[in-house]
Amino acid sequence: MFQLEPGDRRPLYEQIKENIKFLIIGGSLADGDRIPSVRELAVNMAINPNTIQKAYKELENEGYIHSLKAKGYFVSPRSQAEKAAGNEVLAKFTDAARELMYTGKTFDELCGIIEQIYKGGNIDGNDNGQ
Amino acid sequence: MEMTTGNEMMITVSGVTKNFGAFRALDGLSLNVKKGSVYGLVGPNGAGKTTFIKALMGIYKADSGEMTLDGKPIFENEEVKSRMIYVCDDLFYYPTYTIEQTAKMYADIYPNWSNELFEKLHDIYKIDLKRKVIRLSKGMQKQVAFWLGISAQPDVMILDEPIDGLDPVMRRNTWRLVLNEVAERGMTVLISSHNLRELEDVCDHVGIMFGGKMVIEKSLDDVKGNIHKIQIAFAKEGSDEKLALFTSNLELLHESRMGSVASLIVKGDMEDIKNIAAQYSPVVFDIIPLTLEEVFIYELGGMGYEFENILI
Repeated sequence: MFQLEPGDRRPLYEQIKENIKFLIIGGSLADGDRIPSVRELAVNMAINPNTIQKAYKELENEGYIHSLKAKGYFVSPRSQAEKAAGNEVLAKFTDAARELMYTGKTFDELCGIIEQIYKGGNIDGNDNGQ
Repeated sequence: MEMTTGNEMMITVSGVTKNFGAFRALDGLSLNVKKGSVYGLVGPNGAGKTTFIKALMGIYKADSGEMTLDGKPIFENEEVKSRMIYVCDDLFYYPTYTIEQTAKMYADIYPNWSNELFEKLHDIYKIDLKRKVIRLSKGMQKQVAFWLGISAQPDVMILDEPIDGLDPVMRRNTWRLVLNEVAERGMTVLISSHNLRELEDVCDHVGIMFGGKMVIEKSLDDVKGNIHKIQIAFAKEGSDEKLALFTSNLELLHESRMGSVASLIVKGDMEDIKNIAAQYSPVVFDIIPLTLEEVFIYELGGMGYEFENILI
């Protein structure tokens, strides 16, 4: 289904989560699709089943998947996943904004970029000029 | 059905001591393995890992302390022992026995033995049943140990440096079979190994032993989540002072400098560290998790087990 990057240092459950999210957001896994059972994925990837379970539990809490008793895990309707994805992107945005602040970008500069995006302007780096 | 580790303990070890003459190999060792968990036991050579496993399996008699499986004492307890499989580096087989005969012996000893599983696994471990086990290569003998061990359907597998000697394909196949038993039946695994890259994939808990004692015992995520590598640099003006102030707020395990960039190994919560760093407005700031191998090196480094300067 997917392969983990050997050099990735993040905890395995995070990597698994991200890969499945990517498949859902990208549409490879559609609403209602069954995803592999914990056992299938653990055996297939030779990874601890408790790690897979942890990833699935978190994906469930974030609204990407849901479990049906005795049937396994399924992809949840898109609106829920999109909402969850929105929160995640927002967290990334916050991180990025903080980093930009550290590196000396001013509040007005960032606001300018956001304003441009919302007005449908073309921002392609700094050399675009006004 | 799908299992996860609960809070029920499968293996409980407390205050185990073992002396060989004047040498104390195990010094009040305690350890806890949850049901359905894959527990990686790591530590430098001579830490007492194999001594502990041999004491657990009743090959050595501990001088003091308690060891239980599912709440029952293990030592000389046939009923408990029949639920455990032990795979080690120096395997013993009866000299005249073929694989088939050894399997029959296992079927007598282990109550959960499954002939059906044994036959199924023959598709993976493709070794002629009529061959004498001791005539096989070391790696193939190890394959037989897993073949028989998994067919015995134990509640617990104790593995001491088990996978070394298996080729990469058999290694992966064997892990898949073991993890299948973990996922399907909630089998518990205790494994001692120096292959930390592999343990990172298969374990959910780790115990680090040093000097006959348990020094760290946590879930793998907690072990890795509490120690980080940081790269940090400050603007030229007052950079040394800022770095000193920053590090004074942290539990620092290691520090090295390259130009203006400092590489730090730091213990603590990642968000806390990020917040502290933000107060000193670094121009470069990067925080990444450590690999289990790095955790091993730096944690033990903090206890005085360190790299020596090899350039003599």
